[in-house]
Amino acid sequence: MNFPLGFWDISLLTAISAIILLITSEMLSPHYGKINILVNRKRLKHASITFSIIFLATVAVKVISILTS
Amino acid sequence: MRGKLNLANLAGWITLALGCVSLIGATIYNHQILAFIGLGLTFWGIILTYIRSEEYVKESFMDAACLSPLEALNQLMDKLGYTEKAVYLPPKYMKEPENSKAFIPKGKLSTLPKPEQTQREDIDLSIENPEGLLITPPGNDLTKLFEKTLETSFTTVDFQYLQLNFPKIFIEELEIAQDIEIKMENNKIHVKLENSPYTHLAKEISKLSKVYESLGCPLSSAIACALAKATGKPVKIEKQEINEAARTMMIEYSLLEEDAKS
Repeated sequence: MNFPLGFWDISLLTAISAIILLITSEMLSPHYGKINILVNRKRLKHASITFSIIFLATVAVKVISILTS
Repeated sequence: MRGKLNLANLAGWITLALGCVSLIGATIYNHQILAFIGLGLTFWGIILTYIRSEEYVKESFMDAACLSPLEALNQLMDKLGYTEKAVYLPPKYMKEPENSKAFIPKGKLSTLPKPEQTQREDIDLSIENPEGLLITPPGNDLTKLFEKTLETSFTTVDFQYLQLNFPKIFIEELEIAQDIEIKMENNKIHVKLENSPYTHLAKEISKLSKVYESLGCPLSSAIACALAKATGKPVKIEKQEINEAARTMMIEYSLLEEDAKS
Protein backbone atom coordinates (compact mmCIF):
# COMPACT_ATOMS: atom_id res chain seq x y z
CA MET A 1 0.00 0.00 0.00
CA ASN A 2 1.98 2.94 -1.30
CA PHE A 3 0.66 6.33 -2.31
CA PRO A 4 1.41 6.45 -6.06
CA LEU A 5 2.32 10.16 -6.24
CA GLY A 6 5.62 11.66 -5.21
CA PHE A 7 6.36 14.86 -3.35
CA TRP A 8 7.03 16.77 -6.59
CA ASP A 9 3.69 15.67 -8.06
CA ILE A 10 1.85 17.09 -5.07
CA SER A 11 3.96 20.24 -5.27
CA LEU A 12 3.07 20.67 -8.95
CA LEU A 13 -0.62 20.13 -8.22
CA THR A 14 -0.64 22.74 -5.44
CA ALA A 15 1.21 25.15 -7.75
CA ILE A 16 -1.44 24.78 -10.46
CA SER A 17 -4.27 25.05 -7.92
CA ALA A 18 -2.70 28.15 -6.36
CA ILE A 19 -2.30 29.83 -9.75
CA ILE A 20 -5.93 29.08 -10.71
CA LEU A 21 -7.21 30.42 -7.39
CA LEU A 22 -4.98 33.50 -7.39
CA ILE A 23 -6.02 34.46 -10.94
CA THR A 24 -9.70 33.87 -10.14
CA SER A 25 -9.45 35.86 -6.94
CA GLU A 26 -7.78 38.76 -8.75
CA MET A 27 -10.24 38.66 -11.66
CA LEU A 28 -13.20 38.85 -9.27
CA SER A 29 -11.76 41.86 -7.46
CA PRO A 30 -14.32 44.69 -7.13
CA HIS A 31 -11.63 47.07 -8.42
CA TYR A 32 -12.35 45.68 -11.90
CA GLY A 33 -16.11 46.06 -11.57
CA LYS A 34 -16.94 42.35 -11.34
CA ILE A 35 -19.26 42.89 -8.43
CA ASN A 36 -22.14 40.86 -9.84
CA ILE A 37 -20.62 37.45 -9.05
CA LEU A 38 -21.96 36.28 -5.71
CA VAL A 39 -18.90 34.58 -4.26
CA ASN A 40 -17.34 35.20 -0.89
CA ARG A 41 -14.23 36.93 -2.19
CA LYS A 42 -12.50 37.03 1.17
CA ARG A 43 -12.65 33.26 1.51
CA LEU A 44 -11.50 32.83 -2.09
CA LYS A 45 -8.54 35.08 -1.36
CA HIS A 46 -7.73 33.15 1.81
CA ALA A 47 -7.92 29.82 -0.06
CA SER A 48 -5.62 31.09 -2.83
CA ILE A 49 -3.08 32.42 -0.33
CA THR A 50 -3.19 29.15 1.63
CA PHE A 51 -2.53 27.09 -1.49
CA SER A 52 0.31 29.43 -2.48
CA ILE A 53 1.87 29.04 0.97
CA ILE A 54 1.54 25.23 0.76
CA PHE A 55 3.26 25.27 -2.63
CA LEU A 56 6.05 27.55 -1.38
CA ALA A 57 6.48 25.28 1.65
CA THR A 58 6.94 22.25 -0.63
CA VAL A 59 9.55 24.20 -2.59
CA ALA A 60 11.31 25.16 0.63
CA VAL A 61 11.32 21.53 1.79
CA LYS A 62 12.82 20.47 -1.54
CA VAL A 63 15.49 23.20 -1.43
CA ILE A 64 16.46 22.26 2.12
CA SER A 65 16.66 18.59 1.18
CA ILE A 66 18.92 19.44 -1.79
CA LEU A 67 21.17 21.63 0.38
CA THR A 68 21.49 19.04 3.13
CA SER A 69 22.06 16.06 0.85
CA MET B 1 -32.58 30.44 -0.94
CA ARG B 2 -31.99 27.92 1.83
CA GLY B 3 -32.60 25.00 -0.59
CA LYS B 4 -30.08 26.42 -3.06
CA LEU B 5 -27.45 26.86 -0.35
CA ASN B 6 -27.95 23.33 0.93
CA LEU B 7 -27.60 21.93 -2.58
CA ALA B 8 -24.33 23.80 -3.11
CA ASN B 9 -23.12 22.63 0.26
CA LEU B 10 -24.10 19.04 -0.51
CA ALA B 11 -22.26 19.17 -3.85
CA GLY B 12 -19.11 20.25 -2.03
CA TRP B 13 -19.31 17.47 0.53
CA ILE B 14 -20.07 14.80 -2.12
CA THR B 15 -17.07 15.93 -4.21
CA LEU B 16 -14.88 15.86 -1.12
CA ALA B 17 -16.11 12.38 -0.16
CA LEU B 18 -15.53 11.05 -3.69
CA GLY B 19 -12.04 12.55 -3.64
CA CYS B 20 -11.20 10.86 -0.35
CA VAL B 21 -12.53 7.50 -1.62
CA SER B 22 -10.45 7.87 -4.80
CA LEU B 23 -7.33 8.66 -2.76
CA ILE B 24 -7.88 5.60 -0.54
CA GLY B 25 -8.48 3.48 -3.66
CA ALA B 26 -5.32 4.86 -5.28
CA THR B 27 -3.30 3.99 -2.18
CA ILE B 28 -4.71 0.45 -1.98
CA TYR B 29 -4.32 -0.34 -5.70
CA ASN B 30 -1.25 1.85 -6.23
CA HIS B 31 -3.01 3.58 -9.13
CA GLN B 32 -1.54 6.92 -10.29
CA ILE B 33 -4.50 8.21 -12.35
CA LEU B 34 -6.91 7.45 -9.52
CA ALA B 35 -4.61 9.43 -7.21
CA PHE B 36 -4.71 12.47 -9.52
CA ILE B 37 -8.52 12.21 -9.79
CA GLY B 38 -8.72 11.91 -6.00
CA LEU B 39 -6.53 14.96 -5.42
CA GLY B 40 -8.52 16.98 -7.96
CA LEU B 41 -11.86 16.03 -6.43
CA THR B 42 -10.58 16.69 -2.90
CA PHE B 43 -9.30 20.10 -4.00
CA TRP B 44 -12.61 21.12 -5.58
CA GLY B 45 -14.54 19.60 -2.68
CA ILE B 46 -12.64 21.76 -0.21
CA ILE B 47 -13.06 24.83 -2.42
CA LEU B 48 -16.83 24.28 -2.89
CA THR B 49 -17.34 23.64 0.81
CA TYR B 50 -15.22 26.55 1.99
CA ILE B 51 -16.06 29.23 -0.59
CA ARG B 52 -19.77 29.87 -0.40
CA SER B 53 -21.89 32.52 -2.01
CA GLU B 54 -22.26 35.71 0.00
CA GLU B 55 -25.59 36.83 1.34
CA TYR B 56 -27.05 39.56 -0.80
CA VAL B 57 -30.34 41.42 -0.80
CA LYS B 58 -32.11 42.16 -4.06
CA GLU B 59 -32.05 45.79 -5.16
CA SER B 60 -35.85 45.88 -5.53
CA PHE B 61 -36.24 44.71 -1.93
CA MET B 62 -33.74 47.34 -0.76
CA ASP B 63 -35.68 50.08 -2.56
CA ALA B 64 -38.98 48.99 -1.03
CA ALA B 65 -37.58 48.58 2.48
CA CYS B 66 -35.65 51.85 2.45
CA LEU B 67 -38.16 54.20 0.91
CA SER B 68 -41.13 53.88 3.29
CA PRO B 69 -39.38 55.09 6.49
CA LEU B 70 -37.81 57.96 4.56
CA GLU B 71 -41.17 58.82 3.06
CA ALA B 72 -42.66 58.97 6.56
CA LEU B 73 -39.85 61.28 7.66
CA ASN B 74 -40.38 63.38 4.54
CA GLN B 75 -44.10 63.79 5.34
CA LEU B 76 -43.28 64.67 8.94
CA MET B 77 -40.79 67.34 7.92
CA ASP B 78 -43.22 68.70 5.37
CA LYS B 79 -46.05 68.95 7.91
CA LEU B 80 -43.84 70.58 10.54
CA GLY B 81 -42.41 72.99 8.01
CA TYR B 82 -38.74 72.01 8.31
CA THR B 83 -37.11 72.73 4.98
CA GLU B 84 -33.64 73.97 5.93
CA LYS B 85 -30.50 71.92 5.46
CA ALA B 86 -29.59 69.70 8.41
CA VAL B 87 -26.35 70.17 10.30
CA TYR B 88 -24.57 66.98 11.33
CA LEU B 89 -23.26 67.54 14.81
CA PRO B 90 -19.79 66.42 15.96
CA PRO B 91 -19.34 63.97 18.89
CA LYS B 92 -18.94 66.68 21.57
CA TYR B 93 -22.66 67.46 21.16
CA MET B 94 -23.60 63.87 22.00
CA LYS B 95 -23.95 62.12 25.31
CA GLU B 96 -22.92 58.90 23.52
CA PRO B 97 -20.28 59.90 20.95
CA GLU B 98 -20.77 56.72 18.91
CA ASN B 99 -24.23 57.95 17.92
CA SER B 100 -24.76 60.73 15.43
CA LYS B 101 -27.37 63.45 15.50
CA ALA B 102 -28.47 66.01 12.97
CA PHE B 103 -29.98 69.36 13.78
CA ILE B 104 -32.58 70.74 11.38
CA PRO B 105 -33.19 74.43 12.09
CA LYS B 106 -36.74 75.76 11.85
CA GLY B 107 -35.69 78.87 9.98
CA LYS B 108 -32.43 80.00 8.45
CA LEU B 109 -29.52 78.70 10.52
CA SER B 110 -28.30 81.48 12.78
CA THR B 111 -26.57 79.51 15.49
CA LEU B 112 -26.17 75.90 16.56
CA PRO B 113 -27.61 74.57 19.81
CA LYS B 114 -25.17 74.33 22.70
CA PRO B 115 -23.70 70.92 23.63
CA GLU B 116 -25.49 71.17 27.02
CA GLN B 117 -28.81 71.39 25.18
CA THR B 118 -28.20 68.37 22.96
CA GLN B 119 -26.67 66.21 25.69
CA ARG B 120 -29.68 66.44 27.99
CA GLU B 121 -31.28 63.08 28.71
CA ASP B 122 -34.83 64.39 28.79
CA ILE B 123 -34.49 65.93 25.36
CA ASP B 124 -37.27 65.16 22.89
CA LEU B 125 -37.36 65.61 19.16
CA SER B 126 -37.56 69.39 19.12
CA ILE B 127 -35.35 71.89 20.90
CA GLU B 128 -35.76 75.59 21.44
CA ASN B 129 -33.40 78.52 21.19
CA PRO B 130 -32.42 77.91 18.45
CA GLU B 131 -35.63 76.24 17.38
CA GLY B 132 -35.18 73.06 15.44
CA LEU B 133 -35.37 69.30 15.26
CA LEU B 134 -32.68 67.06 16.68
CA ILE B 135 -32.95 63.69 15.02
CA THR B 136 -30.95 60.56 14.34
CA PRO B 137 -29.93 60.87 10.68
CA PRO B 138 -30.72 58.11 8.13
CA GLY B 139 -27.03 57.22 7.78
CA ASN B 140 -26.31 56.71 11.50
CA ASP B 141 -26.20 52.92 11.41
CA LEU B 142 -24.37 52.89 8.10
CA THR B 143 -21.60 54.92 9.77
CA LYS B 144 -21.51 52.37 12.58
CA LEU B 145 -21.17 49.65 9.93
CA PHE B 146 -18.20 51.55 8.42
CA GLU B 147 -16.61 51.76 11.87
CA LYS B 148 -17.26 48.09 12.55
CA THR B 149 -15.74 47.14 9.20
CA LEU B 150 -12.62 49.20 9.86
CA GLU B 151 -12.57 48.14 13.53
CA THR B 152 -12.19 51.70 14.68
CA SER B 153 -14.19 54.67 15.93
CA PHE B 154 -14.27 57.71 13.67
CA THR B 155 -14.10 59.88 16.79
CA THR B 156 -10.47 58.80 17.22
CA VAL B 157 -9.32 59.38 13.62
CA ASP B 158 -8.80 62.38 11.36
CA PHE B 159 -9.87 63.36 7.85
CA GLN B 160 -6.75 61.82 6.25
CA TYR B 161 -7.72 58.47 7.74
CA LEU B 162 -11.12 58.68 6.06
CA GLN B 163 -9.49 59.66 2.78
CA LEU B 164 -7.25 56.59 2.98
CA ASN B 165 -9.81 54.09 4.24
CA PHE B 166 -13.07 55.02 2.55
CA PRO B 167 -11.97 53.33 -0.72
CA LYS B 168 -11.42 50.13 1.26
CA ILE B 169 -14.96 50.23 2.68
CA PHE B 170 -16.76 51.36 -0.45
CA ILE B 171 -14.85 49.29 -3.02
CA GLU B 172 -13.52 46.19 -1.29
CA GLU B 173 -15.76 45.57 1.70
CA LEU B 174 -19.23 46.82 0.83
CA GLU B 175 -18.76 46.87 -2.96
CA ILE B 176 -21.07 49.83 -3.46
CA ALA B 177 -18.76 51.68 -5.83
CA GLN B 178 -15.94 50.92 -8.20
CA ASP B 179 -14.08 54.08 -7.30
CA ILE B 180 -14.36 56.83 -4.72
CA GLU B 181 -12.63 60.18 -4.64
CA ILE B 182 -12.51 62.46 -1.58
CA LYS B 183 -11.03 65.94 -1.75
CA MET B 184 -10.97 68.84 0.68
CA GLU B 185 -10.72 72.46 -0.45
CA ASN B 186 -11.23 75.38 1.94
CA ASN B 187 -13.63 73.68 4.34
CA LYS B 188 -15.49 72.08 1.42
CA ILE B 189 -15.30 68.33 0.97
CA HIS B 190 -16.08 66.77 -2.39
CA VAL B 191 -16.95 63.08 -2.58
CA LYS B 192 -17.35 61.34 -5.91
CA LEU B 193 -18.61 57.78 -6.26
CA GLU B 194 -18.12 56.08 -9.60
CA ASN B 195 -19.96 53.11 -11.07
CA SER B 196 -22.10 52.66 -8.02
CA PRO B 197 -25.19 50.43 -8.12
CA TYR B 198 -26.51 52.56 -5.25
CA THR B 199 -27.29 55.48 -7.60
CA HIS B 200 -30.63 53.90 -8.51
CA LEU B 201 -31.83 53.97 -4.90
CA ALA B 202 -30.37 57.45 -4.39
CA LYS B 203 -32.34 58.67 -7.41
CA GLU B 204 -35.54 57.26 -5.92
CA ILE B 205 -34.80 58.93 -2.58
CA SER B 206 -34.17 62.25 -4.35
CA LYS B 207 -37.90 62.31 -5.14
CA LEU B 208 -38.51 62.78 -1.40
CA SER B 209 -37.45 66.40 -1.66
CA LYS B 210 -37.62 67.49 2.00
CA VAL B 211 -35.51 64.63 3.39
CA TYR B 212 -33.16 64.57 0.42
CA GLU B 213 -32.48 68.32 0.41
CA SER B 214 -32.07 68.48 4.17
CA LEU B 215 -30.53 65.21 5.39
CA GLY B 216 -29.48 63.59 2.11
CA CYS B 217 -29.80 59.93 1.20
CA PRO B 218 -28.61 57.29 3.71
CA LEU B 219 -25.19 57.05 2.04
CA SER B 220 -24.48 60.79 1.86
CA SER B 221 -25.84 61.03 5.40
CA ALA B 222 -23.48 58.28 6.57
CA ILE B 223 -20.50 60.06 5.00
CA ALA B 224 -21.62 63.30 6.69
CA CYS B 225 -21.80 61.51 10.07
CA ALA B 226 -18.31 60.09 9.53
CA LEU B 227 -16.93 63.51 8.53
CA ALA B 228 -18.51 65.17 11.57
CA LYS B 229 -16.98 62.52 13.83
CA ALA B 230 -13.52 62.63 12.26
CA THR B 231 -13.17 66.38 11.82
CA GLY B 232 -14.97 67.33 15.04
CA LYS B 233 -16.82 70.06 13.15
CA PRO B 234 -20.49 70.42 12.22
CA VAL B 235 -21.09 69.23 8.68
CA LYS B 236 -23.72 70.26 6.15
CA ILE B 237 -24.57 68.60 2.84
CA GLU B 238 -24.39 71.44 0.32
CA LYS B 239 -25.00 69.70 -2.98
CA GLN B 240 -25.79 66.25 -4.33
CA GLU B 241 -25.68 65.26 -7.97
CA ILE B 242 -26.74 61.84 -9.19
CA ASN B 243 -26.19 60.62 -12.71
CA GLU B 244 -28.09 57.36 -12.93
CA ALA B 245 -27.00 56.62 -16.50
CA ALA B 246 -23.29 57.03 -15.70
CA ARG B 247 -23.87 55.54 -12.22
CA THR B 248 -21.96 58.38 -10.58
CA MET B 249 -22.77 60.40 -7.51
CA MET B 250 -21.16 63.65 -6.41
CA ILE B 251 -21.70 65.09 -2.96
CA GLU B 252 -20.40 68.37 -1.61
CA TYR B 253 -20.11 68.91 2.13
CA SER B 254 -19.16 72.01 4.03
CA LEU B 255 -17.49 72.10 7.42
CA LEU B 256 -19.04 74.77 9.61
CA GLU B 257 -17.41 76.74 12.35
CA GLU B 258 -19.03 76.23 15.76
CA ASP B 259 -20.72 79.62 16.12
CA ALA B 260 -20.55 80.79 12.54
CA LYS B 261 -23.56 81.34 10.40
CA SER B 262 -24.04 79.14 7.35
